[in-house]
Amino acid sequence: MRISGAMAFSAGLAMVAAYAVLTALRWPPKAALFPLVTSIPLLVLAVVQMVTDWRALSASEDAPQETRAALGVLAWMAGFIALVFLLGFPLAVPLFIFGYLMIAGREPWLLSGALALAAWGAFHLLFEKLLHFPFDPGWLIGGGT
Amino acid sequence: MLDALLQGLFLVLQWNAFSLMLVGMALGFVVGLLPGIGGAATLALMLPFVFKMSPVEAFAFLLGMHSVAATTGDITSILFGVPGEALSAATVVDGHPMAKNGEAARALGAALMSSLVGAVIGAAALAVSIPIVRPLVLTFGSPELFMVTIMGIACITSLSGQGTSAQLKGFAMGLLGLLLATIGQERQSGILRFDFGLIYLWEGLDLIPVLVGIFAIPEIIDLAARGTAIAGNAPSAKLGAGVWEGIKDTFRHFWLVVRCSAVGVLVGILPGAGGGVAQWMAYAHAVQSAKDPADRERFGKGDVRGVLGPGAANNSKEGGDLIPTIAFGVPGSGAMAILLGAFLIMGLHPGPEMLTKHLAVTYSMVWTLVIANVITVIACLALLPYLALVTRIRGSLIIPFLLLLVFVGSYTANRQLADLLVTLGFGAVGYLMMRFGWPRAPLVLGFVLGKLAETYLFISMARYGYAWLAQPLVLVLMALTALIIVFPYLQERRSHAN
Repeated sequence: MRISGAMAFSAGLAMVAAYAVLTALRWPPKAALFPLVTSIPLLVLAVVQMVTDWRALSASEDAPQETRAALGVLAWMAGFIALVFLLGFPLAVPLFIFGYLMIAGREPWLLSGALALAAWGAFHLLFEKLLHFPFDPGWLIGGGT
Repeated sequence: MLDALLQGLFLVLQWNAFSLMLVGMALGFVVGLLPGIGGAATLALMLPFVFKMSPVEAFAFLLGMHSVAATTGDITSILFGVPGEALSAATVVDGHPMAKNGEAARALGAALMSSLVGAVIGAAALAVSIPIVRPLVLTFGSPELFMVTIMGIACITSLSGQGTSAQLKGFAMGLLGLLLATIGQERQSGILRFDFGLIYLWEGLDLIPVLVGIFAIPEIIDLAARGTAIAGNAPSAKLGAGVWEGIKDTFRHFWLVVRCSAVGVLVGILPGAGGGVAQWMAYAHAVQSAKDPADRERFGKGDVRGVLGPGAANNSKEGGDLIPTIAFGVPGSGAMAILLGAFLIMGLHPGPEMLTKHLAVTYSMVWTLVIANVITVIACLALLPYLALVTRIRGSLIIPFLLLLVFVGSYTANRQLADLLVTLGFGAVGYLMMRFGWPRAPLVLGFVLGKLAETYLFISMARYGYAWLAQPLVLVLMALTALIIVFPYLQERRSHAN
């Protein structure tokens, strides 16, 4: 059986709702009431939508180029988060901007460097100098937080 | 009263108070552009600086900052689809599609002018209603507040689009939002719900990472996939020329702006109704005011009325919020709770004193709201054609800065690194929702109102049993809720009959 992206999304939603129902059934009534009141109809609606998506399967279209672009940006975001965890925001910000502009944006290194420097300057001025906002130093620099 | 009103104006226009208001406004302008540090957080950060100020100077500084943050939050919402303020996300729904259509300046003009009208209406409401609003606030107990949250949730019908499938998806997303709101420790029994053994989830999911992920990241992915500027291939001439069009739109739909401002004031007055409700209810009202289903179809695709309604409610809410804070010391929102701290620092006691002995100080707050908004709108109008040009910058140059805005914003809300992962996760989910036609607004509405609804329901049941269902005001609110749910269907049937 062929599964479209839309149908997979509806199925995922149904699974989340089913998990919520099964988990909430183990709780005392007070704690379970609200989750059950929301997850049972959610399960029903998600299953109905899944069937609708299955019926409309032939009409669904794949967009591999869009998916590739989406995965690319999500990978950059994950990379930025990894940099923040490792080095903290103050170092991750200019490195990420420079890296993205050079590699993904294919911008000249001089422009990439200038913009990365400008981003770091604005970040430093606003958060560190003006607002005195405390950022975590990152695992590599602060030894784990 | 007129003397006090004029005295309040003179107090704000004194050199010290006025210059401090300008400093506060400059700060508010910058932080309003960032999703994480909202108006409330900035108030908290700046509270220590008011110790040496007089009450008028302190409130000019704090309120100037707070009211401007509410206005400028709309700028990033429209230009980039990144909500500048956690509670001002409704502007994204139609504002960003307008920017994509090359109408960024028009959307910004409309948002700013409607914000100004909303702020003036909110300030006027504050000026006249303090003495008379007491019975209304005291009438609203937990059953009535529960029904107000249910009214907010009922707006899902207007936010879901038309047709059975769109309504089904809208309700499903609203339910998912409500379900997500149940994550964390249940307040009455102490049971940990859906925490997966993570301490991070004990307090539940925070609104900002969810909101920014759901709304901003899908737009950034879309921008990367298109490989163009935000405004795509829209003609350049349209970009800067739309400012006056946006201003005129405010007056073309003036009664809509007034009605949405009234929604903002009313929601602001009710302590505990939550600021997030105001914008979404105003947006839902704007959708419902469409003439027919075909007219309604335009919402979500860049209809200026979808910008005017939330813009007006966002700023009128500030005046409404101040009413219970000043009159009874009951803060209507988190920001007002912090402002209450400023009252105590200044040695002022909210309540009857503010309406008699310190009436001029109270009116100086009214004037601060008005003057700060007027100055912001004038300054922004001068900058708008240039701001709108940002939508012409090629995507590859602007994307890393948008990502920076998104992730720094998410982190600064709570200083939790895990919030970055939540933002990314909800960003991916939001992208899939956008791609497969699931509306995002109902999810956010359900999430914002879920915790409030559960808390008020529990208190109502514990206090009154089922008897609260028969209270007169509850019945009125039930009827209004039913009307909100049924109205779009009635409208569709009438349209088919015609």
